[in-house]
Amino acid sequence: MSSSDSVRPPTEAAGWRHILDASLAVFIKEVRSEVRTRYALNAILLFAVSTIVAVSLGLGPIAPRRNPDLPLIQAALLWMAILFAAFTGLARTFIQEEDARTAAALRLATPALAVFLGKAWFNTLLLGLLTTVSATLFLVLLRVGVADLVQFGAVLALGSAGLVAATTLIAAIIARASARGALFAVLSFPLLTPLLVVAIRATALTIEGVTWAAIGPPLQILAAYAVALFTASLLLFEVVWEA
Amino acid sequence: MTLSQRTSDGAKLLLGVWMGGVVIAMFAIVPEYVGLGDAGRIIIMHVPTAWITTIAFLISAAASIRYLWRRRATDDAIAVAAAEVGFLFCALATITGAIFAQLVWGVFWNWDPRQTSILVLLLIYAAYFALRSAIDEPERRQRLAAAYNLFAAVTMPFLLFVVPRVADSTLHPTCAFVQGSRCAGVTLERDGARIKQLGDIIVALESLERRGDLAVARVEVRTPGLTEVVVLEPSYDLNAAAPADRPTFPGQQFMLAVKAVDLTRGTALVNIEAPGTGLLSNQRTLWTFMAANIGFLGLAIWLYRLRAGLILLEERIRLRGAPHELPA
Repeated sequence: MSSSDSVRPPTEAAGWRHILDASLAVFIKEVRSEVRTRYALNAILLFAVSTIVAVSLGLGPIAPRRNPDLPLIQAALLWMAILFAAFTGLARTFIQEEDARTAAALRLATPALAVFLGKAWFNTLLLGLLTTVSATLFLVLLRVGVADLVQFGAVLALGSAGLVAATTLIAAIIARASARGALFAVLSFPLLTPLLVVAIRATALTIEGVTWAAIGPPLQILAAYAVALFTASLLLFEVVWEA
Repeated sequence: MTLSQRTSDGAKLLLGVWMGGVVIAMFAIVPEYVGLGDAGRIIIMHVPTAWITTIAFLISAAASIRYLWRRRATDDAIAVAAAEVGFLFCALATITGAIFAQLVWGVFWNWDPRQTSILVLLLIYAAYFALRSAIDEPERRQRLAAAYNLFAAVTMPFLLFVVPRVADSTLHPTCAFVQGSRCAGVTLERDGARIKQLGDIIVALESLERRGDLAVARVEVRTPGLTEVVVLEPSYDLNAAAPADRPTFPGQQFMLAVKAVDLTRGTALVNIEAPGTGLLSNQRTLWTFMAANIGFLGLAIWLYRLRAGLILLEERIRLRGAPHELPA
């Protein structure tokens, strides 16, 4: 943001490049401040690890036994761990701006869209890490035999994308309110139910092992959910950020 | 007393008398729904509250869009009042639905897709009110609440249309109440996919055999309200090419029917049916139902106007106090 020319670009294409550049700058800033404090990373990963260890301790004796509903139970437990870990850490990016009183500076320096995109990339990275760690632990500790790892990964990736798309705008909303921690879960959960229902069923299908034709429709729903909420966030973010 | 006040008082009185009449008609005039008994009467209340919920939430979302467009407190007041009325009617629809489900399906709650979506709707608007109460500054509260309202509205299509389609079937009207409706049922194969789901009922084909002109299917049934497994024997008349014997699910009022059968391949198409058809083809029920719709709509409009007026009054008091406050 060296000159005023870069803030009001002459053409639309240049404008988009400017916003993407700025979003990259926001993303790098987020990563840097996260590496310094490791607040969100610690909170999220420790939460996920303790949840899955607790679940594994509880389910240890029944896991190897033959139970026709076992894949669905395991999928639900995995998504619960991911969901609640996400609730503990994903709001951090916006809350910390308000707590450190840096939000106003960011508002002046960067276009709203770039702030949203930068923070969405950062949350994607964070949730990607979280999902990878918890899924790996889950497979190892609960001795889950996934029939098709590529399908399993695809469901987790698209489900996480939807989770980020839904929660990033909510994080921006609750950063301006009081009682934020509780409010984040309260506001996010109802919006995430359709995603969770589909993601849990699809994950159970991949654990059982089905064809790509059978896993296709749930994957399409997950992708449509992520795209719809991401687009809505792009449209609404400016209202929230400048409120 | 001004004329408008007198009209509104008269309208309120009329509404009270009208709703009283609807309640009396619901129990005294509407005939018993064949097979459902007195439980069927609750539909007179359940259906109007459910569709008023939908309309209220649509109005609320539209008012939020208009608020973000024009930034006027009036639009915010409309959005809140509509959401509050919608929330109240949504709770009523949920409760009446749960009572009906207990009487007819044997469980208060069975995660039927429509129950899921109405519960999530309640949660969304509870969250909307929680968000409003957590922000003190009025302008910011209005903007953030409008943004959340619209963001939540984006997930509605997924709830209302996508999730129910992931589930195989629903016990709600399009499937169970109307014989020969769109819901096609499931095909059970003796030598293949033997076990399938009809709504939340698990059906498994045990055997399929010919007894004279009838094809009799032995179907193992597990319902959510029931712990033990029950075997039903619905049959299909091969000469008339129509379902013959339709046994009822244990503890419920619905019947299991064989819709089509292929004895050589050992497959049977089964579906849930409601006892008796055409609830509204009965004139007395139809008119009571219409009167209930009008009554509930009037009730909703009255509540909505009351709330919107109060919220605007609060806003006006705040604005009048504004000059004495420090500028933000």
